[in-house]
Amino acid sequence: MDKKDGLSSPLRRGKTPHGEHAPGMRLLTALQERAKELNCLYVIEDILNRSWDVPLPDVLRRVAEILPSGWQYPEICTAAIRIDKQRYGSVGYRRGEWQLVASIESEGEVLGQVEVHYTEARPQSDIGPFLREEERLLKTIGDRLAHVLLFRRMRAIRETTEHPAIGMADWREPLRLLRRSHRDLYRRSARKMLHHLCRIGIPEAQRLLSQTAELSADETGEVNEPGEKRWMDPSLLLSERPFEIAAEQMTSNEILARVEQWILEDRVGDLIKVIDSRRSSTQEVADAIRRFRQQGVDEEQLPISAKNGLRASLIRRLLSDHPLYMRSAKEVLSLDDFEYLLDRMILPRESRGKLGGKGAGLFLANRILATRDDMRGRWGDLRMPRTWYLATDGLTRFIEHNDLQDVLEQKYRDIAEVRHQYRNVVQMFKHSKLSSEVIHGLSSALDDLGEVPLVVRSSSLLEDSYGTSFSGKYKSLFLANQGTKRERLAALADAIAEIYASTFSPDAIAYRAERDLTDYHEEMGVLIQEVVGKRVGEFFFPSFAGVAFSHNEFRWSPRISRKDGLIRLVPGLGTRAVDRLGDDYPVLLVPAKPKLRANASVDEVVRYAPRKLDAINLDARHFETVDIDEFLRKYGDEFEALDRVFSIYEAPDTLRQPSRMLCDPRKDRLVVTFEGLVSKTPFVERIHGIMQALQDALQTPVDIEFASDGDKLYLLQCRPQSNVEECAPAPIPSDVDESRIIFSANRHVSNGNLPNITHIVYVDPERYGALATREQMLRVGQAVGALNKMLPKRQFVLMGPGRWGSRGDVKLGVSVTYADISNTAMLVEIARKKGNYVPDLSFGTHFFQDLVESRIRYLPLYPDEEGVDFNERFLRSATNLLPELSAEFADVSEVLRVIDVPAAANGRILRVLLNADLDKALALLTNPEEESLERTDQSITPALQPVDDRHWRWRLRYAESVSRHISREDFGVKGVFVFGSTKNATSQAGSDIDLLIHLNSTETQQKALEQWLQGFSHCLSDVNYMRTGYRVDQMLDVHYVTDEDIAQRTSFAVKIGAVTDAARKLPSRPVK
Amino acid sequence: MSADQSFNPFEMARSQFDKIADLLDLEEGARQFLRTPRREYHFTIPVKMDDGGVRVFQGYRVQHNDARGPGKGGIRFHPQETIDTVRALSMWMTWKTAVVNIPLGGSKGGVICDPHDLSPREQEAICRGFVRQLARDIGPLIDVPAPDVMTNSQHMLWMLDEFEALHGGRYPGLITGKPVGLGGSLGRTEATGYGVVYTIREALKVLGLDPKKTSASVQGFGNVAQFAIDLYQQLGGRVVCVSSWDQSEQTSYTFRRVDGVDLEALRGVTDRFGGIDKKRAKDLGYDVLPGDAWIEQDVDILLPAALENQLNSKTVGKISKQVKIVAEGANGPTTPEADAVLHERGVFNIPDFLANAGGVTCSYFEQVQSNMNYFWEMDEVLSKLDVKMTGAFHDVATLAQRKKLYMRDAAYVIAIDRVASACHDRGWV
Repeated sequence: MDKKDGLSSPLRRGKTPHGEHAPGMRLLTALQERAKELNCLYVIEDILNRSWDVPLPDVLRRVAEILPSGWQYPEICTAAIRIDKQRYGSVGYRRGEWQLVASIESEGEVLGQVEVHYTEARPQSDIGPFLREEERLLKTIGDRLAHVLLFRRMRAIRETTEHPAIGMADWREPLRLLRRSHRDLYRRSARKMLHHLCRIGIPEAQRLLSQTAELSADETGEVNEPGEKRWMDPSLLLSERPFEIAAEQMTSNEILARVEQWILEDRVGDLIKVIDSRRSSTQEVADAIRRFRQQGVDEEQLPISAKNGLRASLIRRLLSDHPLYMRSAKEVLSLDDFEYLLDRMILPRESRGKLGGKGAGLFLANRILATRDDMRGRWGDLRMPRTWYLATDGLTRFIEHNDLQDVLEQKYRDIAEVRHQYRNVVQMFKHSKLSSEVIHGLSSALDDLGEVPLVVRSSSLLEDSYGTSFSGKYKSLFLANQGTKRERLAALADAIAEIYASTFSPDAIAYRAERDLTDYHEEMGVLIQEVVGKRVGEFFFPSFAGVAFSHNEFRWSPRISRKDGLIRLVPGLGTRAVDRLGDDYPVLLVPAKPKLRANASVDEVVRYAPRKLDAINLDARHFETVDIDEFLRKYGDEFEALDRVFSIYEAPDTLRQPSRMLCDPRKDRLVVTFEGLVSKTPFVERIHGIMQALQDALQTPVDIEFASDGDKLYLLQCRPQSNVEECAPAPIPSDVDESRIIFSANRHVSNGNLPNITHIVYVDPERYGALATREQMLRVGQAVGALNKMLPKRQFVLMGPGRWGSRGDVKLGVSVTYADISNTAMLVEIARKKGNYVPDLSFGTHFFQDLVESRIRYLPLYPDEEGVDFNERFLRSATNLLPELSAEFADVSEVLRVIDVPAAANGRILRVLLNADLDKALALLTNPEEESLERTDQSITPALQPVDDRHWRWRLRYAESVSRHISREDFGVKGVFVFGSTKNATSQAGSDIDLLIHLNSTETQQKALEQWLQGFSHCLSDVNYMRTGYRVDQMLDVHYVTDEDIAQRTSFAVKIGAVTDAARKLPSRPVK
Repeated sequence: MSADQSFNPFEMARSQFDKIADLLDLEEGARQFLRTPRREYHFTIPVKMDDGGVRVFQGYRVQHNDARGPGKGGIRFHPQETIDTVRALSMWMTWKTAVVNIPLGGSKGGVICDPHDLSPREQEAICRGFVRQLARDIGPLIDVPAPDVMTNSQHMLWMLDEFEALHGGRYPGLITGKPVGLGGSLGRTEATGYGVVYTIREALKVLGLDPKKTSASVQGFGNVAQFAIDLYQQLGGRVVCVSSWDQSEQTSYTFRRVDGVDLEALRGVTDRFGGIDKKRAKDLGYDVLPGDAWIEQDVDILLPAALENQLNSKTVGKISKQVKIVAEGANGPTTPEADAVLHERGVFNIPDFLANAGGVTCSYFEQVQSNMNYFWEMDEVLSKLDVKMTGAFHDVATLAQRKKLYMRDAAYVIAIDRVASACHDRGWV
């Protein structure tokens, strides 16, 4: 019987068999009934589990004895089990006028029945005087007894045959029994036996099998035509012949052991069938697993293949089908783990959902660490917070349940419209209802978790899968979870609705579009997790929390290598370590070299210490950011981890470790340094070990979130660290003419090669800093967002002061979201010296991960440092395209400059070379001719290239090539332009190339040109076919315009110099 | 050294010295002697690194002059350290100790290294290695180091410990900048800010002004500024505004309250780096003005106590006619162009190396206390500081008045003359 259904039914039905009582009484009675039923079931379960050595009649009698206790009127209830014409009754058994019966069946064979009688009349209910739940209970017990009987029978067979006195021929009797009761099973065993005999080379078996189903040459797959279908005598597999042949080679025991093994495999096979079937719901999977377990099978006894098959099916079904994930998960996840997991899944009706990326990642990581002995013993337990999982199809059900289907169109809308409507979507979702199954599941979760603060986190199928992190795109919400059950449940449901709504947020939609995932049907699981921490005053928070990365993309010392990792650590909730903050900093540590701190002098340590902490205010019931100094003045003495988190600062330049006894938080000036944690505890070593273990098991660099309540460390999240595949370092030429250099850098350089930059978007740091109002600064960000849509994708770089995308503090850098910069090839943050201010670099934050994953290169530029080139003259003097591109933003053209590189540099384009090994970067003007196709092909390996990039890149290159080959004089061509999908980087496999040719020619010239282009068009069609398998008849779609067209802006001439989506001029052959 | 480099700090220090030497009409021998440091130590410090390897660091100690007493000067850890920087700074220390008239000479030291690349253990090894090379050439009676760029009290304790291990005894007077309780002096935090106000108080006396009827505008709200405001208000003065750097907005603001700022209230809305909370200050009744508004206030005293080059050709014109004193709490707040304008207008200048000499004076007191192993209470430190600063100020002010010199020039004249005389009296030159 289903536990959740059992608990929920009285609420759902709202009436009881007793007629009309007061609602409270009704509920109480119903709950009492369910408790009785469950109790009965558990006792029976207990009897059956311990009865292995008890004679069957005794066991059956005991079960019959217990049965009446589960019924509504035990005092007039009797029960009996009938097997093989024998009856095993409860004490004082007698038949009554009213009875319930359930048969005991196995594999279609009726073995007996179990029955319950009322000896006196009772009020009418669902089925006579009986409840529907009672009927189900009886059925469950019937099924359970069937398993027990079958297994006892098999064991009996095995035991008889093992008896030495019974001779060779004794396999016959048990197998006949099997054939009688389980024909299918017998047939399958016979076939397997034949295969086995064949394999060990028994000619007789080979002869039989070739008669039936020989494996011939064409079945090995070497012939490309259907194989012959052979006739097979159906009676053979039901005869004793296969086993008779076997008996000549094997002992009776060997035969029976094999058959037993196959029966076991068969059961696993049945289970896998249920798991793999699209039709079975997750609840049915859970039930099937439970039944399988009740057969007393130990997972460890299964053959490796069956075990792996079973695990793989479960992993695919509930967690992830990513090959990397499955490979590691198969190693560590056992059936026990899945049973545990299923108990904590909240399932909508008929759910077929999964856990989602975040849930699956955490669950696996936790098991990996639990199975590592060195992880367990050395530093004490690593815990996972208690977690419940709402299945991923909950979102779809929610949308269906509330008729919100309209919202699914959202992702195809223009991003501006999405942004505009998002607020409405959130409200609409919040006013919708979760289904009753989910509400009941949440209710159970709340009962289990208790009145502790919770975090509700999204766990999308797309999120955290290998290669996409979605970090920060979907929400995580904190709940104080205080008050009455009703209040807590309402708050939880509200949070879930909000998380569901975040699937339709503009940033999430832009992010998906970017990865070509728009059409993917997004499903969103939800994790409901207890918050790690302790209460101090009215606040609840962990002593410390943070994130850690296997690969360190931010190195402040040449002694730190990329593989040394990085920890971002804060006191309180980890939100401040994950998020990018304008006015506060996390403490940075390198797990492999914890003694090399980012801040060396006392002054720096104090300046960059965290000053605030995030906590949950249990009294006010909300998330709150608390000033650490104020908090310490009030509650410093109660904060247990004081000596781990803080150092005492004594002006002017002394930092010392606080003594637990003598430190006075009211008097001493405390600064967050985590010096105690680093030097007195194995914390760093431990994180390092955890990262190593996870990286080894998952075979990919990871990023984790963790928190500690002061005593124990908890793992909160684990996902592959995005995009760490090595890009080749670009060779940096040494003898470059200075006039060609736009900028160079020698700090914090990553690898890469951007060969084809045609536009620079430059926010002048000085003029930006001089803007008078916040509004003007915000407009610069908006203009960048508009340019992001107009400029050719991945062919422009953004350069600007300070920290792009800072939240709140627009002075620090241009205010943009990821959606505003998603098409750039590179983001350059310019750090000009400003007093003693050193800009915080954008790494490890949500924004940076976006950049990394989109392969948008990031470079900090320090123009005022020695050995750094910065061609400010070029950036300031080149013609600014902004007013032309967007009249709307002409007012910020003083600050924001858009430079068409070829136009400003005599047809040359910008090339950016990045080399992390040398820690050098160089951006130089270069002739497009130097950029041979071969070289570009090498630098872009298909696997690393986002899918949607493949089609337009080469189209554009060939369009350029065509343009360069057109003889301007011979054909009277004044200019060649590209527009449409090739220019906009939206080409698909079947797209053509739209060219616009500006002509001033005679008719003959134009004819000749058309012919000339026709040849190219055919060639390109072939190229496209080779690359994609798509046939496009005319690859070049050429439109001709004249001077007159341009003057009158008729036909396609409007594309030339258009404000938006303008055709782009292609390079011409240099004049000889 | 690299003569082709455009900027050489040592050459600049020398030419500054030459100018004053001309004024003093110093003899050629004395000039030559003072243009060059007396002793320089160049040495290597091999360090076993955490990863098992060995790195060799370059160390320097330059003792420019010790005619007036043991050398005094900090030890810098800096990746771009050069011997010429160390030479220039050691010379500057000679003038600084001389102008406040404490019996010490001028030294400086440095190690080419970046503490960002070094673990604490490795830094300790550098400190101990530094002292092992210099154990015979520094000491309470020879040359007394102190913390400087990227070194702090911890480094000083490691160095002291190594010195004492080598010499077999306790010599707390070897080094200054130690924490209170381990040979440090009380008053180190207050010394610079209070020192500035001692000189302001004396300047007001010279100008015949009653502190109670004066007002001031302060740039910065760090350590120096806060203690200066504290003491100035104790004298009855009124601080009209302060400016502070807003870390989150990366800009500075001026906070004005014409009736006078309330130091305690402002401290209550200030983070520990001197950043004042804009909103809360507004609630307290302060006008929040742009960062450089502090310059253009109608006050009697301007006290720049934060950054270099704040009074420059652009801002000097905004200075109110009412301003009578510029007291340089920060190092180098006035550019030469602005200096000329202020001189012209007759504004009374208290030059940086006199105004902020409270710090080095307190270091001297720390050494004195360490040598006798008897440590004073706070009031004793501060009253002795007052005596020293007041004396030093009047020496300079009297000369300036007598010889009609700009205060900055008078201070240099006095400093260099004192050192030159000491050398002469010892029979060196």
